[in-house]
Amino acid sequence: MTSFVIAAVAMLIALVPAGITLARGTLADAVIGFELVTSVAVMVFALLAEGFKRPSLFEFPVILALLLFGSGLVFVRALERWL
Amino acid sequence: MIREVITDVLLALAVLTVAASAIGVAIVPDTYARLHYVTPAAVVAPVLVALAVFVTEGLNVNTGETVVALVFMIAAAPFLSHATIRAIRVREAGDWRGHPPGEHAVTAEKTKDTEDTEERRRDSSRARETR
Repeated sequence: MTSFVIAAVAMLIALVPAGITLARGTLADAVIGFELVTSVAVMVFALLAEGFKRPSLFEFPVILALLLFGSGLVFVRALERWL
Repeated sequence: MIREVITDVLLALAVLTVAASAIGVAIVPDTYARLHYVTPAAVVAPVLVALAVFVTEGLNVNTGETVVALVFMIAAAPFLSHATIRAIRVREAGDWRGHPPGEHAVTAEKTKDTEDTEERRRDSSRARETR
């Protein structure tokens, strides 16, 4: 296992407190937890692509980073209007 | 060898940043303060990861794609934070300005009326003093 894969796994483990907030907090706290988790997911994809030496997988973090903005705004809008 | 050490240090810093952010989000009691802890994980840690990829790979397509993802994240973070704060404010107060829509104008008129009345009172007291 390269240091990139270890870092990816460590990042996922480090997300546990944010996951608890996401699952048990209020609706606003859950949205904030979601934003943190998606930001870290982009990095985890990049780390895994580098760790396993798969250049084609580097497209996932780019796409996820793009979708992160749209999905975040959708959640925030739903929080503001309907929830 | 030196490249590996630099990469490991950068990755360790990125993991520490994410861990600190996640703990901050979990332990801070206020929702508004909680949002501050998302920023290091969304801005600082990706820079460290991109640097680690750059140190390992050099300037190639993989580094370029990581930097593109990083740019998207850094560009989106302030907009997302602002929209989130706004949404929470609307949920709590009914309007992002802190009061229901339409109330602001009435309050402003009332304030102006009060100021005018006070000014008139001051003028009349000054006139009485001069007499």
